[in-house]
Amino acid sequence: MKKGMNKILWSTLGLLLAAVWGLPFLYSVWTAFHDEIYSANFVLNAPLTLENFFEAWRAAPFALYFLNTLILITIVLIANLVLCTLVAYAFVRYRFRWSGILFALIMVQLLVSPEILIVENYLTLSRIGMIDTILGISLPYLTSAFGIFLLRQTFMTVPVSLDEAAQIEGAGAWRVLWNIYVPLAKPIYLAYALVSISFHWNNFLWPLIVTNSPEVRPVTVGLSVFATVESGVEWSLVNAATLMTTAPLIIAFIIFQRQFVANFMRAGIK
Amino acid sequence: MKTSTRFLTSCCAAAVMGVHATSLSAADLEFYFPVGVNAPAVDTIQALTDTWAALNPQHTVEAVYAGNYEETTTKALTAANAGQPPQVAVLLSIDLFTLIEEDVVVPISDIAHTPEDQEWIDGFYDGFMKDAEFEGKTYAIPFQRSTPVYYYNKDAFRAAGLDPEAPPTTWDEMIEMGKALTVKDSNGNVSQWGTRIPTLGLGGAWLFGGLVVSKGDVLTTQTGVEARIDTPATIASLEFLLELSEQGVMAPGGISWGDTPKAFLEGQTASMWTSTGNLSFVEENATFDWGVGFLPGGDGPGAPIGGGNFYIFSDTTDEEREAALDFIKFMTSPENAAIWSIATGYVAPRADAWETPEMKAYSERLPQALVALDQLQYAEREFATFQRAKVTQHLVDAIESVVTGNAEPAEALRAAQEGADAVLGEYK
Repeated sequence: MKKGMNKILWSTLGLLLAAVWGLPFLYSVWTAFHDEIYSANFVLNAPLTLENFFEAWRAAPFALYFLNTLILITIVLIANLVLCTLVAYAFVRYRFRWSGILFALIMVQLLVSPEILIVENYLTLSRIGMIDTILGISLPYLTSAFGIFLLRQTFMTVPVSLDEAAQIEGAGAWRVLWNIYVPLAKPIYLAYALVSISFHWNNFLWPLIVTNSPEVRPVTVGLSVFATVESGVEWSLVNAATLMTTAPLIIAFIIFQRQFVANFMRAGIK
Repeated sequence: MKTSTRFLTSCCAAAVMGVHATSLSAADLEFYFPVGVNAPAVDTIQALTDTWAALNPQHTVEAVYAGNYEETTTKALTAANAGQPPQVAVLLSIDLFTLIEEDVVVPISDIAHTPEDQEWIDGFYDGFMKDAEFEGKTYAIPFQRSTPVYYYNKDAFRAAGLDPEAPPTTWDEMIEMGKALTVKDSNGNVSQWGTRIPTLGLGGAWLFGGLVVSKGDVLTTQTGVEARIDTPATIASLEFLLELSEQGVMAPGGISWGDTPKAFLEGQTASMWTSTGNLSFVEENATFDWGVGFLPGGDGPGAPIGGGNFYIFSDTTDEEREAALDFIKFMTSPENAAIWSIATGYVAPRADAWETPEMKAYSERLPQALVALDQLQYAEREFATFQRAKVTQHLVDAIESVVTGNAEPAEALRAAQEGADAVLGEYK
């Protein structure tokens, strides 16, 4: 009996939280598919329209922006995975002088907010002539203190005996990394990739400041055209644009959902 | 189609004027601009920029969209600090003191020094030039300027038995008519408020400046070091805002800027105070008969002026400065100012722009646009000082704490004055 009550309570709480999370999303779907007059006026039989999406698509060169964002996150993600893995591996597997201090230095970077560095980073980029390039946008993000930390902690949980057994079998450092450490950290890689992609997909101020031409700008810059505070904000247009720019992420998540959940579960059980 | 017609008009207009065939040596310009109003703004700027480039083949110009005002300023300052400033940019008029303090802009009057240039500068409305000058020099040229006006629902006026052609002009009338305009449903809940004056954030502080002007005072002066937050005029203004909600004419609590046009269009309020930047948005979406009037005033009309000006950056060559000046002259020429004003709702900053056939046709179709122009003579500069962000925040906090019922007007304004003086002390 008591168990049943508990279950009902938990389900209600769950549904409530889901509603709190889902309402803004539902609202944006509603306004995106309806005319502006229905944006705060919920008439069930209000006529559906795709006009908002067409208008939003026309307001900025979104096809180009999508491509740029895609290139940007691909560069950042690949560089991150490779560099963070190597650094974390070195910290775990090799004992070298100053390794403690070096790791502490990397950790300190987590405390520095990227916005403070905008002027300095801009200066560096302009000295090496990389303003207004996609590589320039990604340069400050090619490696990540958070990624190094995450992978180091994961690699440390790998039993030393596995590593030693592989060495006895004659595997070199690269082989050990590739065949032992990387497969065991797969859930962490997935989780990290998810966080990293969504961060760079949403990053706005830095790309806006270091780029000038539409040829290299990401979708967030296109999205910002709709934030027209001086005149009224057209919610239907804003939400159509928002849905459009987040759709790839949402679709990707739905497709990979099972893998994500399975991987997180496995990571949790360990 | 519409854009290309416009584009063509601007080409012809500029060619007829013939002032752009100057024999300047080549310069490559970068032009940063922000967008604060709905969509066609980017296309219009791009079209105008392309036309200038076509007329001046020896130069190149790249129009760079740089976000909202704040982001554009950040981008321009970052680039200037790295020694690669844009040659020309549209930035907030109230950022003048920040730009001077950072030493990144040149006075435009130093570049435009011939008698014809002076005549050109004198052609802008005085109201718009007030916040473009510092220590006797002109630093900026008005471009996308706006001022708030009183929008009202004529149908609601008729329903309340009021004359739809006679909007309120004084604060007392605001309250009196507001009471008649407030409609309650059978449960006693208000379904339509009498008016809506945004009180939160920077928008709230902007409109508050208008209230103060109508009481015969100003919030800041052109020295940039004086903030007049605690004066009889400001106390009266804040008390008026409180009275509106005490008398049941305006919803109690803070009122946000962004939701206001929506509330007006949906009939939740019979009138609103907001920028002329909304004219085309309201025209497009209103399902009722609407009008525009001066902001009702305390002792007479009064309004703040806001928006963006052209600036020329200092880390530039003489050729670039000359080209930038020519570019600005082109963008603010009567025909182009008219194109820009019609596309966006910004107030065209020169009298000769209003004389163009396009502008005359526009003001005939939308006579509401003329109200802002007539009101201009009663308008004063927007709140601007050195360290603007910090100083304005004190004012914003004071207004917000009073309208949300957490402080008394006199006491809140005194505290804000002290805070502002502490920041400005070192500049005096």
